[in-house]
Amino acid sequence: MMATETLSVNAAPPAEALPPIRLIGLVCERSVELEDRLNADGRLLDDPSVKIILVPCSGIIQPLMMETSLKNGAQGCFATGCRIGDCHYREGNKFLQERLLGQRMPKLKPTVDKRRIEAYWLSAVEYDEFRELIESFQSTVSSIPAS
Amino acid sequence: MTTYVEAIQKSLVLPLEKVANKVFTQKYNPLYYHGALPNLFLWALFLTGLLLLVYYQATLSTAYASMKYITYQAPFGNAIRSIHRYAADGMMIFVLIHLFRVWFTDRYREYRIIPWISGIVLFTVLFLVGLTGYMLIWDQDAVALTNVTINLLRSFPVIGTGLAGFMLATDLSGSSLITDYTITRMLVLHLGIPLLMMFLLWWHYLRITRPVTDAPLALVLMMVGGLLLVAGAAPVVLGDMAPPDFAVVAKSIHLDGLYAWPQQLALAGWNMGVIWLMVLAVPVGLFVLPYLQKKALRGQFARVVADNCTGCSLCYNDCPYEAITMVDRNDGSRFKRLATVNPEHCANCGLCVGACAFKAIDIPRCESKDVLAEIEAALAGQSLASA
Repeated sequence: MMATETLSVNAAPPAEALPPIRLIGLVCERSVELEDRLNADGRLLDDPSVKIILVPCSGIIQPLMMETSLKNGAQGCFATGCRIGDCHYREGNKFLQERLLGQRMPKLKPTVDKRRIEAYWLSAVEYDEFRELIESFQSTVSSIPAS
Repeated sequence: MTTYVEAIQKSLVLPLEKVANKVFTQKYNPLYYHGALPNLFLWALFLTGLLLLVYYQATLSTAYASMKYITYQAPFGNAIRSIHRYAADGMMIFVLIHLFRVWFTDRYREYRIIPWISGIVLFTVLFLVGLTGYMLIWDQDAVALTNVTINLLRSFPVIGTGLAGFMLATDLSGSSLITDYTITRMLVLHLGIPLLMMFLLWWHYLRITRPVTDAPLALVLMMVGGLLLVAGAAPVVLGDMAPPDFAVVAKSIHLDGLYAWPQQLALAGWNMGVIWLMVLAVPVGLFVLPYLQKKALRGQFARVVADNCTGCSLCYNDCPYEAITMVDRNDGSRFKRLATVNPEHCANCGLCVGACAFKAIDIPRCESKDVLAEIEAALAGQSLASA
C-alpha cells in the first residue's frame, strides 16, 4: 500500500493531471466533427475522460471493438455515425445499429452489459448535441453499481 | 485543406438537414429520400399520363379540342391533368435536390461515377420529356413553345435542319414549320423517352447493391397530399386556341421556368448560339465535374486475408457497392469459397470489416487490429481505476 502511494507521487507530476479514461468513443470521421476538439492522445478536450478513436465510417466498427473496450476496463463505449438515412457510404450506420440491436451478424454478444453501450447518430454540425449525449452517458455509467 | 464541396456541405447542406430533421423527424426527412422521391413522381406521371392518353388526340386539327374536353368536361379530367403537370414540376425539383445533394456531399465521383454519368443522361432526357409534354397541350402557349423550339433546333450548326425534321417532323425544304406529323412526333418522344428512362434507371442502379427506390409510406402520403393540394388550389387552365397559321404573338406567352427556360430566353431575344452554349454547358459541365477534384482514394481498396476467410459471405452481403464476389477456392483450404474484392468498385469504406467476424478483411487506412490495439493501449494500466 505504502509502495504504490510513493510511486504515484514520484511519477511525472504535470502529465498525470488527466483523469483516467472512462469512456471509449468510436466515431465516424464524417459524423460529428471532432478533429479540432481532441488532444494529442485522442482525448476530448472538453472532457478528457473520453478517449475518441476516429474511423472512416461507423460501418467499420465491429461489436468486438466495443466488447474489448469494456473488457479492458472502460466504464462505457459508444459509437457515433452519421444520421440514419445519411451514411456517406450508404448503409454503414444502419448496419452497425442492427448489429448492436442483435439483428445483423456479427452481433454484439448478449452477455455484454447493454447499459454501457451506446450509439449516436449525428451530423458534422451537431457537436452541442454530442456533448449533451456524452454527459448523460457519463452519468448513466457512473450510476451503475460496481458488480 | 477544405474543398469547396466540404465548405458548402458544412455551411449549407447539413444545417438545412438539421432543420428538416426537426420538422419531419430523421425517419421521414425528405432530404434523406432525395433519390426515391423522383421515382414517386415518375409513378404519378405514368398513372395520370395513361389516363390522359385515353382522351388525347394527336392530330393537328383535333389536339386542342381534345385538350379542351379533358380540361373542362371529362370526369376528373382537370384533376388528372393538374396532377400530371405539378408532378412534372415536383419530379424536376426533387431531381435538382438529388443532383445538388450528391454533389455537395461529395457522393458523385470515383466509385460513384456510374450513377453520376447515368444521372446526367437521365436528367437530360427528363428535360426532353417535360418539354414535349408542354408542347402537346397545343394551346397558344404550346404552339409558341413549339415554334421557338423549332427555331432553336434549326439554328444548331450543320445538323440543325435535319434535327428539327427528325425531332418535330418539320418540312426539310423549310417552307412549313409545323406539319401533320409534328404532334405525332411529340407524342412519340413524350411516351418513348420514359420507356428509355426505365433502362437508364437500371444503369443508374447498376453499382448499388440496395438502392433506395421508394420512400416510406408516410412520406409518400405527405407528397401525394401536397400534390393534390397544389392541384386543387391552382387547377390547370387551357390557353386560347392558336391562329390557323400558328403565328402566335410572342408577348402573351407563359412558359414553365423549369423545363422551358431556353425557349423563354429565345423569346426574350437572346442570341440562339448563346442559348445553345448554355444548354450544352449543363450536361458537359456536370460530366467534367468529378474529374476536377483530386482523387481521394487512389490505389486503396479492401484486402482479404485468405488464411482467415471462411467463405461465410457476410462481407459479400453487406458491401453497398457490389465490390465483393465469392469465388470457389482450391488452395487446399478446408473452406469452399473465398471473398474477393474488385478494386474498381471498392469505396474503401470498411463496411466489410464491420461485417467480418474472422479478421479476414481490412482496409489499409483503418485496420481493425490497429483499432483494437489503440483501445487496449488507452486503457492499459488503469483497469482497476475505473471500477
